Amino acid sequence: MNLVESYRDDLKLIEKPWTGCWIGMTLLVLVLLPWFSSAHWVYLGTLIFIVAVGIMGQNLLIGYTGQISLGQAGFLAIGAFTFGHLAKLGIPVGLALLAAGLMAAFFGVLVGFPSLRLKGPYLAIVTLGFGIAVYQTFTSFEVLSGGRMGLVVPKFPALFGFSREVSMYYFALLLGLTFTLVTYNLVSSYLGRAFVAIRDNDIAAEVLGVNLTNYKLLSFAISSFYTGIHGAMFGMFMGFIEPQMFNFSESLIIFVAVVIGGLASVEGAIFGAAFVILIPQIFSGYREFVPVIFGVTVVLIMIFEPLGLAGRWFKIRLYYRNWPFR
Amino acid sequence: MRRGLFWILLIIIGFSLPATVLAAGTPGVTKDEVTIGMTCPMSGPAALWSAMALGNSAWAKHINDQGGIHGRKIKFVVKDDGYNPSRALANLTEMKDDVLAYGCVIGSATANASKDFLLTSKVPVVHVHANPRIWLGTPAAQRRNIFIAYPDYIDESEAVAKFAVTKMGIKTIALFGQNDDWGKSAEIGIQKAIKALGGKGKFAGFVTFEVTDRAVGGHALKLKELGADAVVIYGAPTQAALIIKEMAKIGYKPKIFTANPLGDPLMYKIAGELWEGAYPAVSGNVSLPGVDPQADRVVDILLKYEPALKGREFLGVTGATTMMLIAEGLRKAGKNLTRESFVKAMEGIKNFKCEGMGAPITFSAKQKMGLNAIRICEAKGGKHVPISEFMIFNPLF
Repeated sequence: MNLVESYRDDLKLIEKPWTGCWIGMTLLVLVLLPWFSSAHWVYLGTLIFIVAVGIMGQNLLIGYTGQISLGQAGFLAIGAFTFGHLAKLGIPVGLALLAAGLMAAFFGVLVGFPSLRLKGPYLAIVTLGFGIAVYQTFTSFEVLSGGRMGLVVPKFPALFGFSREVSMYYFALLLGLTFTLVTYNLVSSYLGRAFVAIRDNDIAAEVLGVNLTNYKLLSFAISSFYTGIHGAMFGMFMGFIEPQMFNFSESLIIFVAVVIGGLASVEGAIFGAAFVILIPQIFSGYREFVPVIFGVTVVLIMIFEPLGLAGRWFKIRLYYRNWPFR
Repeated sequence: MRRGLFWILLIIIGFSLPATVLAAGTPGVTKDEVTIGMTCPMSGPAALWSAMALGNSAWAKHINDQGGIHGRKIKFVVKDDGYNPSRALANLTEMKDDVLAYGCVIGSATANASKDFLLTSKVPVVHVHANPRIWLGTPAAQRRNIFIAYPDYIDESEAVAKFAVTKMGIKTIALFGQNDDWGKSAEIGIQKAIKALGGKGKFAGFVTFEVTDRAVGGHALKLKELGADAVVIYGAPTQAALIIKEMAKIGYKPKIFTANPLGDPLMYKIAGELWEGAYPAVSGNVSLPGVDPQADRVVDILLKYEPALKGREFLGVTGATTMMLIAEGLRKAGKNLTRESFVKAMEGIKNFKCEGMGAPITFSAKQKMGLNAIRICEAKGGKHVPISEFMIFNPLF
């Protein structure tokens, strides 16, 4: 969009005053949302921030590093149940969240090993197998999952005079913002460029000094960490988790969100999260046609905007850059 | 592109409208309409239960055709949750300020995830089709708006085992159950029964399966090794049908007893002729289409308004009982309808039978589980024919 003349320019998060203006306005609206909107929108907003964290992680893996993964539900489940058990033991929320992310990251590294030898559909199948194995493990071992009644997870407490729901909303917003900033910085750093180099041509990347083993594993670890945090936040938000909530369709939903939002785009991850939450909700009154509407919307977006919602957003910004002087 | 900007502005304006501007008086109640909301899996793995929403919808239309209640027509709003707990909760929060009451929440996962919201939202809820024990341990004051008439699994399995031993002459019972709290509840119930029977019967063992299991040949062999006269099944229709077929393949044909979710004669379509002679339990708040004339009359009405219920009549009738209870609450609440008056009216329901079906339902300020009952049936000639009276247990709360 702009001519980048220096590395410093490239690192700038906000390039134009107007960009700063609309970002500030958006943030203000999000901060004030619980004051002027219904509980329903606060609920949906919280869910979008939570899911956006996981989608950002997936975008790092799929969009930036080019490693296709269909086992995200497994990492979600690991994060959610790790958090659930720790929170029930009375571990503080922050520590339990961190542990959930780290546990998912650990399994991410394990799953990442096959990625050193596999690509494309073969890697997708391996990760798919991981997701199914995790699901089966949680369904089979009651000590892990809490059984049919699932695991009741302590909810986020009410803070500063706000209700529990509003407190959770602000916590999710804060976490969503933090992860957004971290991701922007990550993709602009050496690490992010190494990921992109691996995606574009891994042999060339290796020739240029990118250690494929380290960076592919790191990509899996970081992405799984994000997904683990997503799972943990989801568990805390719902107050209840059971293995059925992390089946294969959840992996597909995350994959759809990454692609619909826009591959290799941080804003795209947020758009993708909003899409997969809002579309079924907006059309929920259409009953059994909801999956059909969801599917058709996905097809239409892919036909008319192959770059995803982030691509459309980019075009809108480009168009209005000089508006109304065109 | 400018049209794009227009839509963006429109969304922002719509989003900014305070909910309070849109709502006035009692939510979901106008001079000539009362709105009831429901979240239901209309798509996804539990889409079969959509018949319950159709049953509710059909009964609401039937009431409306008769002039409504106290001059108000019932507007029934149903939203799909795809059996996804977060979507179910989103549906409930969305409808909170637009409905007088929620009519039915379906499924344990959905109910568990929505539990805190339902306890604190102050919106009356009529019927939650899930393990009633999820409400135990919650503050009684918070349960004030919740009205349930669904049987407890432990009481049910205990009664089934006792019936099998005392009335059917069964000596040993094995359990084929889901590897979770549902199956475990059944194990507890059967063991309670065996203990109470003092040596008259014997519990041979518990063979578990996973919700996702489809290959149950090994399970059938284990059950055969246990050599029980009867196998009690606590699982979904799919696994129930599969295990019966696998047991038949290896020449093991014990008497089959099941939990109430298998009380739908639809089981004949899934299990085929092998279902003949099974003894399913049926929830106490409904009667059986094709057997009980009251249920047949209800089915005729439901099919008139929702022909899509053809083939799923039992679930349709089960769903419609929710609307029947709500209608009774609305009648008792009178013209001055508020959530408070509706809750008080529901608490005043005594010995109520939904269109003469099932066992009587009684709520009070202290009793929110209005009915905890089952009936044992026999699968005979494509129908489920009752072979016991209603077995009514003490309500849990």
